[in-house]
Amino acid sequence: MDYSTLEPGQVVSRRTLTIDQQTVSSYVTAVADASRPWGEEAADKTVPPTAVATLGFRCIIEDLTIPEGTVHAGQELEFERPTRVGESLTYEATIEQNSVRRGSRFVTVGMAVQDSIGRKVMAGKSLLMVPAG
Amino acid sequence: MTTGGPASGTSMTVGDPLPDVERTVTQADINRYAEASGDRNPVHLDPVAAAASVFGTRVAHGMMVAAMISQSLTEAFGAAWIDSGRLKIRFKAPVKPGETVVSSGKVTGLHRDGDGTRADCQVGVSTKEGEAVITGTASVWVED
Repeated sequence: MDYSTLEPGQVVSRRTLTIDQQTVSSYVTAVADASRPWGEEAADKTVPPTAVATLGFRCIIEDLTIPEGTVHAGQELEFERPTRVGESLTYEATIEQNSVRRGSRFVTVGMAVQDSIGRKVMAGKSLLMVPAG
Repeated sequence: MTTGGPASGTSMTVGDPLPDVERTVTQADINRYAEASGDRNPVHLDPVAAAASVFGTRVAHGMMVAAMISQSLTEAFGAAWIDSGRLKIRFKAPVKPGETVVSSGKVTGLHRDGDGTRADCQVGVSTKEGEAVITGTASVWVED
């Protein structure tokens, strides 16, 4: 991908994903989150909010074909409502900034996540430092 | 802040510490996170590619380490963090396999409004030697 052509406002990813128990279990095990029961192990079947964010980051990685050498420099997250196991979420990633400084390209990607009836679930911004080509 | 459960807005005071979360990160942990997250950047997995990277070795995913902050905030604020949390962080230094890191933080401001309170917090993750690997802020809306 030619990152120099990315324009603010450009939608670079739009996907609808269903958050299943396997996804939740794999995530909770990987991050060793014992802060409370999650997913099917919880009465409310709540998904870790950072798992919802991580799936969004996955969309960005795959749909922007993030190159080797990219550094994740910063992250903002805003959670608006909990997600339950089995819910379908729509992720939309948009370019917010794209500039070159000191030989590196800095790309800020915004992420908006909605549930199946259009309610805001979370929003985020990822600051990526991409090797300038 | 009371211990043993999520805080309410009226039980907090400025300066209250957030629960520490400590973890020694292993390459096996990083491999598991790569599978769970789909982030298979060679800098996390491939020793040869990572050696040629800016880090010089394999490193943990930033969001894997940041999850420790969310764990701390979940312990401190419970559902309020999940329903209304805000987090703004910078990744300052990599975490290498074998390193032990600690997530810590404290309440820096309480803004009462109606039947709730917005708790502002300083958050971060550092090595046992005190080097900051993540710095940032968080806020949570907590009902009284």
